[in-house]
Amino acid sequence: MASELHLRVVTPDRTIIDRKVAAVSFQGVDGGYGILPHHAPLMTAIGSTGTVKITELDGKQVDMFASDGFAQVQANVLTLVCEAGEFAHEIDMERVKAAEAKAREKMVGLDRLSEEYIKAEASLRKALMREMLARKNTGTGALS
Amino acid sequence: MANLKELRGRIKSVASIAQITRAMEMVASMKLRKVQGKAQSFHPYTDEIRHMIERLAGHVSDTDLPLFQQREVRTTGIFLLTSDRGLCGSYNSNLLAELRRTIDAIKAEHPDRKIKFFCYGRKGYAWLVRRGFEVERFFVEPPLDKANFAAAKVTGQALVDAWQQGAVDEVVILYSRFQSMIRFVPSKLQFLPISSIAVGEDAQKYELDFLLEPDAATVFNRLMPRYLETVIFDAMLQALASEHASRRMAMKGATDAAVRMNKQLKKVYNRARQENITKELLDIIGGASAVQ
Repeated sequence: MASELHLRVVTPDRTIIDRKVAAVSFQGVDGGYGILPHHAPLMTAIGSTGTVKITELDGKQVDMFASDGFAQVQANVLTLVCEAGEFAHEIDMERVKAAEAKAREKMVGLDRLSEEYIKAEASLRKALMREMLARKNTGTGALS
Repeated sequence: MANLKELRGRIKSVASIAQITRAMEMVASMKLRKVQGKAQSFHPYTDEIRHMIERLAGHVSDTDLPLFQQREVRTTGIFLLTSDRGLCGSYNSNLLAELRRTIDAIKAEHPDRKIKFFCYGRKGYAWLVRRGFEVERFFVEPPLDKANFAAAKVTGQALVDAWQQGAVDEVVILYSRFQSMIRFVPSKLQFLPISSIAVGEDAQKYELDFLLEPDAATVFNRLMPRYLETVIFDAMLQALASEHASRRMAMKGATDAAVRMNKQLKKVYNRARQENITKELLDIIGGASAVQ
């Protein structure tokens, strides 16, 4: 029995991934998770800024951005249900930059404890995470 | 006797109306297909969320769940989903008639209860304002036509906020459910507090045969906002599909009527033309025989 894990990534817009991979690691709300084939059944929540690292069957690494979601493992199927998700190579740098600038602009002059500030900070963090992923991806050229 | 020139003008205008309504029919069909496509790619997400809720529901008790808490209802919030544009048959009027009934029913049963309105779609907003109702919030951006999941998220958040801050004590969604290409049913849906999910003792027990981190209540409470978003987005898609299907039907009716009318007018026109020719011929013959 080959050691493989079925990964599904589901977002409201589409099902991004539905195939076999070798391993997956992601950030849960209370720490990092590494899921290998035949992991015990599990259910947990994914934090608001998450990277998902996927190891393909041929050993290649693929990075993905995923936010605000849940992960569950059942019968060797890992399902990530998230609100937004994209591959590192799909990330649109311009959009990310725009989001970053907007968030920074919003934060100026706001009370650090106000709700708006926290929201803006969260979107800034998301933008930065996306940017980092995209940078890393173009830097190594793992995917074209 | 109808004037020939006038008739020609009418035939032309009826034909161009048919052309326009046919184009609108086709646009509506295309938009309908797009919405259905959206709904289809959205299904897996809803299914997953619902599946997780089912697995967890038996392991939480409703005292841990703020969104399930019933309280005495002094203010009802109605979230109304209508279209932005007209020319879609009885779509809006059916829905607004249902709204009227709902308002009357609440007023009859609880005379001192207040009603607050949240609107998506200009038609419903205009209806309420014209009748002197105050609209608590009117969502305009993005237009329903271009609504995506982010829009549903913002809308859902606004409703949840209003409920949590005590501005309203329950929220009902009023929208058209898309039943088939020719049937759209105005429907009411209890949105908050959540009553559509059985929790605790009432829930079907799934064995807790999986690791759960951090714990059931935390995960469940994180799931609920997501669930509410899917409910809103689903209602939006249903409403949109109903609107387009309704418009398609209305425009098809209009096209058919225009084509029929055109046919009839042409008949009248030709008869009149024939008559004119006959009359002229008679004149000529009469004139010719008088000369001889």
